[in-house]
Amino acid sequence: MSKNLSHLSFRKGIEKNLFERMVSAAEEAGTAENPEFVRSLGEDSLFGDAITLGAVSFYDFTKAENEGKKVLICNGSACLCAGTQEKLHHDLESHFKAEEIGHICCLGRCHQGDAFQYEGKNYSGQEAGALKDLFESGQGDDSDNYVVASSLTKPQLTAPFPGIDTYYESFRALLAKGDREALAVELKDSGLRGRGGAGFPLHFKWAGAKSSPGPVKYIVCNADEGDPGAYIDKYLMELQPHSVLLGMMVAGWYAGAETGVLYIRAEYPDSVRIIDEAIADLQAAGLLGKNILGSGFNFALKTIKGAGAYICGEETALLASIEGQRPEVRTRPPFPTVEGLFRRPTIVNNVETFSNLHAILTLGGKGYAAIGTPQSTGPKLISLDSHFAKPGIYEVAMGTPLLDVINMAGGFKTEIKAIQIGGPLGGIVPISHVDKLTVDFESFKNAGFLLGHAGVVSIPETMPMIHYIQHLFQFTSDESCGKCFPCRLGSTRGKELIAKAREDETYKIDPELLNDLLDTMEITSLCALGGGVPLPIKNALQHFESELAPFFAGKPQAALKH
Amino acid sequence: MVQDLTSLTAYIDGEPYLFDEGDTLLNFVDRHRGRGHVPTLCDAPQLEPYGACRVCSVEVALQADGPRRVVASCHTPLTAGMHVFTESKKVRNLRKNIVELVLTDHPLDCLTCEVNGNCELQTVAAKVGIRGVRYPEGANHLDRKKDLSHPYMTSDLSKCINCSRCVRACDEVQGQFVLSMHGRGFNARIIKGLDTTFEDSPCVSCGACSQACPTSAISDRFQSKSIEATKKTRTICTYCGVGCNLDVATKGNEVLSIQAPINAEVNHAHTCLKGRYAFRFYNHPDRLTKPMIRTNGHFEEATWEEAYDHIFENLTRIKKENGGQAIAGISSARCTNEENYLMQKFIRAVMGTNSIDCCARVCHSPTAWGMQKSFGTGAATNSFEDIEHTRCIMVIGANPTEGHPVTGARLKQQIMKGTPLIVIDPRKIEIVPYAKHHLQLRPGTNVALLNMMARYILDEGLVKRDFVEKRCEDWDIFEAGLRALDLDELEKITGVDKEKVRAAAIEYASSEAAMSFHGLGVTEHQQGAKTVMLIANLAMMTGNIGRPGVGVNPLRGQNNVQGAADMGCQPHQGAGYFEVDDAEVHRRYEEFYGVKLSEEPGWKIPQMFEAAIDGRLKALWLMGEDVVQTDPDSEHVKHAMNSLEFLVVQEIFMTETAKFANVILPASSFLEKSGTFTNAERRVQRVNASVKPLEGTKPDGQIMCEILQRFGYPQDDYTPDGVLAEIAQIVPFFAGATWENLGENGKQWPIAKGGVDTQIMHQEKFARGLGKFHFFPWQESTELETNGKEFPFILTTGRILEHYNCGTMTRRTGNGEIVTRDELAINPADAAKKGIHTGDYVKLASARGEVTLPARVTEEVKPGILYTTFHFPENMVNNVTGPGCDADTLCPEYKVIAADVEKVESGDGRQESRTKSHGAPAGAV
Repeated sequence: MSKNLSHLSFRKGIEKNLFERMVSAAEEAGTAENPEFVRSLGEDSLFGDAITLGAVSFYDFTKAENEGKKVLICNGSACLCAGTQEKLHHDLESHFKAEEIGHICCLGRCHQGDAFQYEGKNYSGQEAGALKDLFESGQGDDSDNYVVASSLTKPQLTAPFPGIDTYYESFRALLAKGDREALAVELKDSGLRGRGGAGFPLHFKWAGAKSSPGPVKYIVCNADEGDPGAYIDKYLMELQPHSVLLGMMVAGWYAGAETGVLYIRAEYPDSVRIIDEAIADLQAAGLLGKNILGSGFNFALKTIKGAGAYICGEETALLASIEGQRPEVRTRPPFPTVEGLFRRPTIVNNVETFSNLHAILTLGGKGYAAIGTPQSTGPKLISLDSHFAKPGIYEVAMGTPLLDVINMAGGFKTEIKAIQIGGPLGGIVPISHVDKLTVDFESFKNAGFLLGHAGVVSIPETMPMIHYIQHLFQFTSDESCGKCFPCRLGSTRGKELIAKAREDETYKIDPELLNDLLDTMEITSLCALGGGVPLPIKNALQHFESELAPFFAGKPQAALKH
Repeated sequence: MVQDLTSLTAYIDGEPYLFDEGDTLLNFVDRHRGRGHVPTLCDAPQLEPYGACRVCSVEVALQADGPRRVVASCHTPLTAGMHVFTESKKVRNLRKNIVELVLTDHPLDCLTCEVNGNCELQTVAAKVGIRGVRYPEGANHLDRKKDLSHPYMTSDLSKCINCSRCVRACDEVQGQFVLSMHGRGFNARIIKGLDTTFEDSPCVSCGACSQACPTSAISDRFQSKSIEATKKTRTICTYCGVGCNLDVATKGNEVLSIQAPINAEVNHAHTCLKGRYAFRFYNHPDRLTKPMIRTNGHFEEATWEEAYDHIFENLTRIKKENGGQAIAGISSARCTNEENYLMQKFIRAVMGTNSIDCCARVCHSPTAWGMQKSFGTGAATNSFEDIEHTRCIMVIGANPTEGHPVTGARLKQQIMKGTPLIVIDPRKIEIVPYAKHHLQLRPGTNVALLNMMARYILDEGLVKRDFVEKRCEDWDIFEAGLRALDLDELEKITGVDKEKVRAAAIEYASSEAAMSFHGLGVTEHQQGAKTVMLIANLAMMTGNIGRPGVGVNPLRGQNNVQGAADMGCQPHQGAGYFEVDDAEVHRRYEEFYGVKLSEEPGWKIPQMFEAAIDGRLKALWLMGEDVVQTDPDSEHVKHAMNSLEFLVVQEIFMTETAKFANVILPASSFLEKSGTFTNAERRVQRVNASVKPLEGTKPDGQIMCEILQRFGYPQDDYTPDGVLAEIAQIVPFFAGATWENLGENGKQWPIAKGGVDTQIMHQEKFARGLGKFHFFPWQESTELETNGKEFPFILTTGRILEHYNCGTMTRRTGNGEIVTRDELAINPADAAKKGIHTGDYVKLASARGEVTLPARVTEEVKPGILYTTFHFPENMVNNVTGPGCDADTLCPEYKVIAADVEKVESGDGRQESRTKSHGAPAGAV
């Protein structure tokens, strides 16, 4: 956001970065929104008081409004569709005062529902008795169990971890060979596209950062997997931590960066812990630090825990967050490969993207590209929610029919009318369309949906579509950074329109107005949050017209005329 | 190089236009179709593209009939051949939809709003054709309360549209970070400081936020965005030497408000609170409006004719009885070039003496003198714009964020972004926390410290031998002097760790382009001129001369202190810096003025006081100069005033000095006159009268012309263009200056015939031919040698942002509510020993006298050092300053005073609010 603040923050550097100090202040005091802390951080960083206060007031976990919340109930889409949260809230009320119960958006327990966070740990699927034990004795079962399966003959992302020595063999070979141009060819041949949702070719991004001048560059892993319904990155960090670390190390070596940062959402406390342990293991193995394996390559890795803001999954907001600025989206160009963290060249990829590097190194670019389709290469992980018979993480080759994935998971347990794939900004696919899709960027795009990050939320027959639309607007309004006008105002007005139509039988939504609102948000929003939410809403209007008709003055599809 | 024109062509709605590299779509369309053709709410010319409102959306295509996509024009770069569609149905609808959303959370009270008719939201809403809001009533923020806590700044955030222009202005223009957004999404809102009021925030009242705000959400007491004004006049600020351009809004003969023009090269839509808000002195009831003649010990009102007659009779008599040598004049660096020129002409051509001086004597005379010796010209070598090109900034004895706020802000912008900064100053000033090197030396040891730096540059092999050999002379003398230095001894003298000095020296000398700025912390010393020459040495030995981003750049204190000296208000040099005792020069001046002139250099200000006391000086004419409050050792100055037979004071207020006058002539303020000021970067800019002179007053230029005429000199009536034309004939570096060609942004001298001006001096060769090195050993101030035992503290003085010099003007504005008194800064260790707490009243004593003032306990000064300002006549801090002065120019030594301090009575712990919170210097208590 602010160039000056980026540069001032650079003076403090990544080790003593301002954001972590904000988060730890909040952990100690319940909120970072207190004058003493704000002033002391401001004096030290040369940020004004207002700047620090503006930043800490942004995040769910640091703002004063949430001080005193003892238990946080997940209000993400998967838990909403699981239908578990109303009862959970009721159960918690017998242990906590109403003002002690807060909300949190998606703990990655989408395979189970019933999710909440208590004293920094995540729980899901707890019986009433278990809850009582937990709150009385502090003892509870926070284990997280789900199916992991692969349809590949040779699993890539889900293969059992063979130990550091074996796993990093290809990386050691890379350093020993020392040929970055050769790697560039492999990257290009691999056809790997970013797995965060946008599907941008990786080799372009990496080459951009490599050719950007400057002695200081960064590798940043976007581990802020905020899409409700997605726990793919969570799986990788917790059960395959070295896959992402290896990918970041390759990126650092390739682009000439000496520092890698994993920005991991606070909703995933286990991920932070496990990644930290894996980094320590790497250090012990001599694979991090100065002059790694005598190659001249220096690299350090560090985790930074987020503080509860979906927008931090947007790369420029994420970078601003690390700098201690308000995580607001900034305009591009310049892209992060030119001006990223602290305005230095930076590669930002998500966890799953980095995790694919091991396969590229071991299979070669062409071998990797042999998995999947010509445009969408490689394997893809899909996370399935609690409405499936066997919810969990499924690895398939890009191009695999979506129906195959559903079948792998044993189909649905309940009656489902649609699935939302790709997070809250992904398309709503009516169940009748499921057999027309294959798991790749093109199939979804051509059918008017979005593969996105490929978390799947099932919308049961019992969930009124108007309620789900309201939920989507509500989510966007809750998570909008507030910078761009269409998103900040549009999501709120959209939410109000739907709520009014639901509450007031005499009020009918003007389809023309909703059309204007959706078009304006979609076309003019600064980032994919405001720009993305119209897609599922439009899908719903198109495919669930008769269900939605009573709420409209005229045909709901009139809201889709452009 | 011939540009390939086709590669720089793009299309607006089908029409081809050339574009500039780096253009955004919005810049491009603005330039060819006018600002506002594509509406925007969050973009502002003085701010970086932001991309929040999305109202500037346009359609673009790579071919005229190719597929189009919608982009926000403010931050989308233009590429060759691009087609921009600014008015398609699609973008018109989108814009309308966005503005409709904005209006769902904005009060619909345009008709009673202060910015009605000048509100950007209102204009944009009309342009996009909003008829009504279709959304049902929803959540809104219309109940937010107004903030009217501050003497200047106001806010009404119910009008806020969350465009963040104010936040960005505070960041990108002023660099203060007082404003931010709080919370997120729909409920995000603007906060000040720790979510408090303007009054309680660390706001420095520059008003950049108010000017940037598109609505009335942030405004000021003067409602500067209202359209009540009937006229806007562009003129130049009367305060410091930065020379900010101002747009003065007036109605009838009343000034309503002041804003900063966007296209001002000096200040780009920025000013400080003095320029923007501290103008209400101009029609203050205290203004002098009648000439007054002292009769039997008291003043009696007189007509202008009576006053002129009285002056004519007395000066004629004194000249007849004692010769012209018994008469002297002190001109004002606050007045225009034309007025200063006329004043010195009157003293020289009519009174027949060269005893004309100006307040440059007490500030930058060592700079003018020293830089002339080194380079041949006593003025900044480079321009403010070079701040954006330099790779290293060295600030010596200057506090730019307080003294030269707009330049200070400009420096801070670069420093924050990483340009290394070296600060040489006894105090932790506001920019110190941003500095890479702070050499916190003992006051009075500049020469020792700069010699150390030069020696380290030599030792480190960083001397640019090529430059030195080709462009300079006397290097050997300097080098020999440096080699003989004892660095350990100098380390003790300066109190600065020599390794720190070495590191700073290496930083400066190894930079591709290093630029120095200095202020009165350099000049107001016994070795002031020598320090200036040492700074020049550093620049020459490192080749930092004659290129962008380098040079020696004095931050001139007063709006026209450069001009006053340029115009000849110096006793040894006439208009254009020619030595009066040079026969050829003398002949030329005599021919030009058409009268016999004195060949003897005249008296400098301190010599005038001596001469008055011992009876050699009988009459003194002061134009806009309060010597009693501002010159050192007030009792001595009063004695001089009392000793005069005849004192004429031209003033706008009854100053401490005016009280001694025999005749007072009520002059007009800068808002009421036309002429030119020359800023610190040699930029001659037009001052245009915004209002008519207050009834009873006359502009100083008119007074001087009438006086010349009254004494029988054939001077035309005053016109600014006429006098400027006369100046251009005698001052060579003004040769090409005409009233017309100065235009809106002025010209930087030397201005050649035809009007070509000069941004960077000494590019091929120095004005004096070769740059001259000088070596000077450090000498202890005689003040400390004589009085240091009895008065063990060192007092140093300066100024603060809110007040200007003796505060004659600023105390009569809202600034007087923001900072109400002078305070004495004292280190906590010293304070503890003396039992002094912040707010306690203390007695500050020196060999001359004592004053009582409140203390401020702060880490800003080292133990043993005291610091204060002299803005308030109640305190008369100059009762304690002394007779020491620069050996070469007699510039007083305001910066080193042997002093002592004792607690007088306990206070209430109060501290001036802004000094408590501004800029948060590290460790400030």
